[in-house]
Amino acid sequence: MVMSMKQASREKGRPLPSSLFAAILYVVMFVIYSINAPSAITLGGITDLLNNTIVLAIASAGLTLIILAAELDLSSVGVIAVSNVLVATVSTKMPAGTIGSLLLVCLVGLLVGLVNGWLVAFLGLQSLACTLGTMIMCQGIALVILDAPGGEVAAFIMNRLTDTVFGMIPVAGLILAMVVLAWLLFRRTRFGIAIYAVGTDAVASHLTGIDVKGTKLRVFALAGVAYGLAGYLLSAQTGTGDPRVSNSFLLYVFAAVAIGGTSLGGGRGGVIGSVIGAAILTVMQKLLFAVGVADFYTNIFSGLIMVVAILFGNLSAILTLHQRMPLTRHGDHGYSAQ
Amino acid sequence: MENTASPKVRFTVSALRPETITALLVLLATVLMMLIMKALNPTFGSLEQIAAILTTSIFLVVASYGQGLVILLGGIDLSIGVVMSIGGMIIAGLTNGSNQALVWAIPVTVLSCIAIGLVNGLGVAFLKVPPFIMTLAVATAAFGVALGLTAGSSQRTVAPALQQLMSARISGIPIPILLIGCFLIGGSLLQSRTAEGRKLYAIGSNLAAARIVGLPIEALTVAAYGMSGLCASVAGMLLAGYSSGATLDMGDPYLMPSIAAVVIGGASVTGGKGNYLGTFAGAVFLSALSTIITVLSLSQGWRNIIQGGIIVIALTLQTKQWYLQKMANRRLTGQGSPNRALSQNSKV
Repeated sequence: MVMSMKQASREKGRPLPSSLFAAILYVVMFVIYSINAPSAITLGGITDLLNNTIVLAIASAGLTLIILAAELDLSSVGVIAVSNVLVATVSTKMPAGTIGSLLLVCLVGLLVGLVNGWLVAFLGLQSLACTLGTMIMCQGIALVILDAPGGEVAAFIMNRLTDTVFGMIPVAGLILAMVVLAWLLFRRTRFGIAIYAVGTDAVASHLTGIDVKGTKLRVFALAGVAYGLAGYLLSAQTGTGDPRVSNSFLLYVFAAVAIGGTSLGGGRGGVIGSVIGAAILTVMQKLLFAVGVADFYTNIFSGLIMVVAILFGNLSAILTLHQRMPLTRHGDHGYSAQ
Repeated sequence: MENTASPKVRFTVSALRPETITALLVLLATVLMMLIMKALNPTFGSLEQIAAILTTSIFLVVASYGQGLVILLGGIDLSIGVVMSIGGMIIAGLTNGSNQALVWAIPVTVLSCIAIGLVNGLGVAFLKVPPFIMTLAVATAAFGVALGLTAGSSQRTVAPALQQLMSARISGIPIPILLIGCFLIGGSLLQSRTAEGRKLYAIGSNLAAARIVGLPIEALTVAAYGMSGLCASVAGMLLAGYSSGATLDMGDPYLMPSIAAVVIGGASVTGGKGNYLGTFAGAVFLSALSTIITVLSLSQGWRNIIQGGIIVIALTLQTKQWYLQKMANRRLTGQGSPNRALSQNSKV
């Protein structure tokens, strides 16, 4: 019965996506930022902002998939560290270093993701704890590859990926658009729908014939590739390798997902929200810097804005609840857990 | 051990609850780890070294108690590292090397840290902010306040009494080890033997049912986060006493291990499962692991790889053990539908 009501609510019109509210918040913050820093609305300023956003955005896009499947993953910083030092050590040395190192980091991400997925789906380990283990291992591997910050990223990666194409479109923006487009296509596929189903109710999904374990394995693998890509893009930004990616980055990845309206309990939300969440967190830091807030206040405001952003998302849930079906809560893409 | 489930067999099964078995196995693994280390390196494993390992485990043992209570509710506390640092900073700043100041400095430290925990709890319970975000946001903000107040520099000396507490011995036994013993007993009793403690289990295992029964969910949530702040402040003060000073990032290395300790000890991150003996075992295991690894003359990278690998192996063994226990229970009592087993396996 609940199912049929959900169906009905979907046909009448989708509930307001909570990412919409995150988007509004972003626009407000961006406007304040550009008033305080007029250079923000030039092409250079926008390119800069997108460059700063993209690593967090891609990493949180990967994490979103895992959270949608009702699992958690801490290994992102580990994979990012490994791929960063890999790019910094091999991209200048191997032939076709740009493509070669890209493939290499994707492979590494895939491998770590498969290990995580196997541990979680087939051995039944708790994802939070076992990905903590793999995260520490990856950080160790990064330190073994490169024991101190250094190395050199191929100039092509550094210059082209942080620049614009045709002198008007930032490459980072292009990559983000591709990620969003890929997500829009992906979430309607069998695999995409299965992720929501598994995240909402694993037992019911199993009984409907969905391969729960396989879905989880593939989700971790896909997220691993996303982290690898994020590490690759991080190398393009920094130009060097640093085996120590800070743990606070990990927390920001989670914050981006949550601010984007993805429920940490699984089954609700989407990648678009997380990309916006990442953009909010990035513009927040720029905004606080532009306004001239003293360093230690930045932290206080960051904390405050995170909570406000979440409350803003809850607001959308309340509004949706009043406007639409009383039985369904808000959901980004219709597959709302009741 | 067949289908004829005699009362005697049932008794032995219930006497050794799976949670207790997990805790004992983790402790066994810790001992095993030390023995392997002893075999590899005969100079390792003196009584002094073991005492040192136990002494340094006190920070994690205390901090992970609060984390365990919060995780029992299905929440998580990411502010523990920052609160530990703040606790240490406050006690060092207020006492500044004088024992007289301790009388009022300890209450001030504890209360400030409890206040941070209460803010966490209020946000989670009443504003319905996900614990992950609420505690992260509060930690970030509290760090900002601490940075502003201390200007990031001050590193004063802690009261000598606190330093002595961490190094003195009573009839040959280091005081921290005695403290760990008291804390273990007190914490276990509070969590598993009091009505309030059992209510946390009820809320963690089924929120809707707990609400229908009329449990004070909001109050207990706030209390659990407050407890977590309290434990983190105590751990921070002890850490400041041990290292005879405090820095703003000294608590950070304890955040992730505090979560890992709880989970290795057999708790579920979705709440409602686990006890303090398990968390304690997990904390001792992780502390011993990191101490033992420092003894090995390896580069930091290899130490991390081994540490991460051992955490994963410990989790694997622990899960297998749960599974065997479940099978044994099912065979004995004829209960436990395959559906439940599936949901426990895949929903975690």
